[in-house]
This record gives sequence, C-alpha cells and structure tokens, in this order.
Amino acid sequence: MPMHVTVIGIGNPYRHDDAAGLVVLAELQARFGGDPQVTLIELDGEPVGLMQSWEGSPSVLIIDAVRSLQPAGTIHRFGADELSGAAAEGISLGGGHLLGLGDSIDLARTLNRLPSTLEVFGIEGDDFSLGEGLSGPVERACGLAAQQVSDRIEELLGSRPPTAI
Amino acid sequence: MTHDHRTRSFQVEALTRVEGEGGLIVEIHDGSVHDVRLRIFEPPRFFEAFLRGRLYTEPPDITARICGICPVAYQMSACQAIEALCGVALDPPLRDLRHLLYCGEWIESHALHIHLLHAPDFLGFSSGLEMAADHRAELERGLRLKKIGNQIVETVGGRAVHPVNVKLGGFYQAPAVDRMRALAEELRWATDAAEEVARWVATFPIPDHKLPDDTVLVALRHEREYPMLGDRLVSTSGLDIAADEYLDHFAEEHVEHSTALHGRMLAGGNYLVGPLARFVLNADHLAPRAAAVAAELGLTPAERNPFRSILVRAVETLHACEVALAVADTYVRPDHPSVPVPPREGVGCGWSEAPRGLLWHRYELSADGRIVDARIVPPTSQNQPVIEHDLTHLIEHSLHLDDAALEALCEQAVRNYDPCISCATHFLDMRVVRQ
Repeated sequence: MPMHVTVIGIGNPYRHDDAAGLVVLAELQARFGGDPQVTLIELDGEPVGLMQSWEGSPSVLIIDAVRSLQPAGTIHRFGADELSGAAAEGISLGGGHLLGLGDSIDLARTLNRLPSTLEVFGIEGDDFSLGEGLSGPVERACGLAAQQVSDRIEELLGSRPPTAI
Repeated sequence: MTHDHRTRSFQVEALTRVEGEGGLIVEIHDGSVHDVRLRIFEPPRFFEAFLRGRLYTEPPDITARICGICPVAYQMSACQAIEALCGVALDPPLRDLRHLLYCGEWIESHALHIHLLHAPDFLGFSSGLEMAADHRAELERGLRLKKIGNQIVETVGGRAVHPVNVKLGGFYQAPAVDRMRALAEELRWATDAAEEVARWVATFPIPDHKLPDDTVLVALRHEREYPMLGDRLVSTSGLDIAADEYLDHFAEEHVEHSTALHGRMLAGGNYLVGPLARFVLNADHLAPRAAAVAAELGLTPAERNPFRSILVRAVETLHACEVALAVADTYVRPDHPSVPVPPREGVGCGWSEAPRGLLWHRYELSADGRIVDARIVPPTSQNQPVIEHDLTHLIEHSLHLDDAALEALCEQAVRNYDPCISCATHFLDMRVVRQ
C-alpha cells in the first residue's frame, strides 16, 4: 500500500481554461496542505520537469486541461498505459508545450522512471486564449474533479475502499 | 510533391521540438526561394496590456508567466528596468544571488535544448524519445544536469517552476547556507559533466553553413562578466548603448503573416541575439574551463555558423556551472534579503540575457507606483527576421536536396535559434511549398 501520493496540477493561469489543473490543485491544497503523505506540485507542463517532479513517489496523479471533441467540463481519466490511446482518439493533453504529456510519460517509460501508479485527470477545456478566468462549465467541473482526485488520494493511501476508474 | 527542383512543392504541417507552437512557410518558385515566413502570435503583447494599472512591484511575478522555460529572465529584466527607474542598485551579495539564479535557468534551458530538442537532429533521430534508446547514458547525464539547474532555481527562487522568491530589490528570503553548500556539491559534478557534454556535442556532424554576411550580432556586455546581467548592449557593427537608448537603435514592426512584431535595426540590416552573438561578443569573459573548452573545440569570435550554436550552448552551460559553483561555494547569508525600492514617477528600461538572447523591458510608472505603460521585447521576436533571412540563404544553397532532406534541414536550422515560441508565439505549424 503506497504511503505517499504526489499530485501534479499543470496549467497556465493566464490562458483561461488551461488553468483548470491549477484550480483543482488549489482546492486540494485546502484539503491536503500540510499532509506529509501528500505532495502537491504546480507545473507548467515542461516535460523533463514533470518527470523529475515525481521521482521517488510510488503514486502520481496529474490534473491537466485537455482538448477533444467532448463538451467543455467533461472529466477524462486515464492510466499511463492509456495515454497513447488518448492521443490516438484526438485528445490533446497539455497546452503549447514542447512535448505533450503523453510524450513525457513515454520518455519516463523509456528511462524506467514511471511510478507504480500514474493516473491523469483531464478536464475538457473550451477557451485556451490569453486571459484570466475559467469558462463556466470548466469552473463547475473543477469542483467535481477535485472531489474525484481527493477520493483517489484517500484510496491510494488506504483510507478509503477502492472504486473502479 | 514532384522531383523537378525548379517547381517542386511540399509542405510540413508541424514544426516540432520548439517550445510552444507557431508556423513556418517556405515557398520556392522556379528554382529560387520566393518567400520564407515565420508565423507567430505574441503573448507579451497581452501581458503588456495586462500590466497597465498594476502596482510596480507586480511585473516580476506576472511576466514570469510568459514562459515556462525562462521565467527568471522575465523576472530579472523586469527588476532591472524598475530598479533603474527607482534609482536602486543591489548590494553585491544580492546581485550574486541573482546571477546564481540566472545560472540555474541557463543550465536548465540549455541542457533541455541540447539533449532533447536539438541533438536528435544531428544524430539522425526523429525525437529525443527515439534517441533515448541509443544514447541513454548521454541523455541521463543531460537530464541530471537539467535537474541541477532546477535545484538552483528552487533553492534561490523558492520553487523550480515560476520562482516566487524574487522581488524588486532582491529576494523575500535569502537561502540557507547549508542548502547552498549542498548545491555546491552537485555543481562540482555538473561542471565536469558539462565539460563532457561539450566534447560529446563536438563529435556531432555539423552542416557547413554561415550566417549571411550582413547579419549583425548583438548582445549585452559587462565589464567583467560573461553577460547574464549586462550593462551595455554591443554589436559586431560597433553599437554600444545603454538600456534607455534601445529604442533609438531598434524598432519592432508588424508584418502581415504574423501577429508577433519583427525586430529590426534602425540603421538597417538583420540582427541576431542569443548564444552565438553572446559568445562572439563576450568570449573573453568566459569562466576558465569554459574558455579552455571553447578553444579546444575551435570556437572563436569569428564563428558565424548557426549550426554550431549547439556547441556554444554547451560551452555556456559549462560557464554557468562554474559561475554557480563559485557563488554557492563562497556564499554567506546576507544580512538583508532585499533593499527597499520606493516608487518613482517616470520611465525605466532594463534588460538581461535570457538563454535565447536579449530580453528588454520598459516600464512607465505614475507617482503612486502604478504602471502606466509596459513594453517587452523578447529574443525570439528579435530573431524572427534573421531566422527567415538565414533560412532563405540556407535553402538557396541546398536546393539539390530532396524534399524530405530539405525539410529536415529547415527544421534543424530553425532549432539553431531555439525559438521560444511561448515567448513570441502560440501555435506553430510548419509548411514548405515549392512551385
């Protein structure tokens, strides 16, 4: 049973819905801030920094904005092995970064740096233009996503029974 | 696609391995280069508007969000500009800490670019991921170097991404001595590793090419240091100016194919900023081991091959490790982490050398410390015309190549400039058309 969970929120607060991962992370900060078993990290999607941020942690949860043909606010959940499939289905993870989140995970896999558990919570965004504030559906989805991530953290720490992804 | 070199046409939809997204279109008509256009969209324009009305203390935090790769550069240029206006100069120990923080960003950015973004071009791989299988040891060494850069930024800047410890006049908190000593231990390894990286990069097959003769190289200059925080802006054409004279010599202009402004010299001609320009104008100020390796690898101030910029980045990485080690090794915690910066009405200009080149900021403040106007000129905007000019020159001499080889060469050449599209653009697709 893992004794530690690293939660990484990815996004840019000045690109509207791209900030979804950071908004969820802020909600989790209120629940898990100071918990020695939970590390909360804000990142901008830089691929090597992402891989290096989870070093030593057996369980990693990533929250990021995504773009696909789903309605804004849809919450996607992927395991590390499913991310290539996500790309194939046209779901774009991350913003204008030099490598996508899927590429980062592939690189980590090649270098044997994947944690035992790696799961991605993707929040479907609508507006990735420059500016502050989330669109309405995304803002509402962030609350739900925070609850789902929170439940998953407790499952991984063994304080709640597991549920299927 | 056809095989008539005079009327061929093809297109590449996506230029990969640059930070961000944008577009490049190359058109070849009747066997000669008709047009080369880098299409980019420019977030600094958004941030300039966003800053108006904000307090003068906010730009270091806000502008750091323009780019995930070089937030320190934005923080440093913003601080330099506002502190200049407010008549504040940092005590040497605080300036040393800024220099150390900047070294961290150079190490991070250069290590990432060399190993994951550009080395695959030279070694014949389509990506860093593909390269990892055959060059795992070199990649692991590069990633460890990058991580040490992150550690510097985290130690001095408070966290590795978008540092929060930087403020006008210095820092919110000065790092603890034991953390700096731990950093010094890591930097001893990093300095040796960076030297190995430079020798490794020197084994790459490097295309024989030269910047067009009319290209002017432009970089900061400091009386003693290889410039991260320089005093004067100098050039290979004899320019030597202060930050508040920048607009007397440089301008930005709109071009139809891009929302980014193109930098140009008022005196005419294309100009280059970035590692190659820095090295050419400041080779005499490299740290000892970096200077020795540069000489060993045949880099001199006469260098004009942009494909050898990767070598310069490796030498600069070594330089940054040496400087960082010296600061971390001798660090004494300053009595005060910052000096006061009272607001002053007027206009202040400042600059620094981002990993990709000159980053100039200008702020106009009201008497109560509100920002009336802000202007930011990032390196990629300045290099945009010279990238287009250099590509034109390169393609003219490479028309014998088949389409795939020419496209690959164009992409490799664009990456010589390590364009930070996040700073200067949003979406990047590449399209090459031959008719």
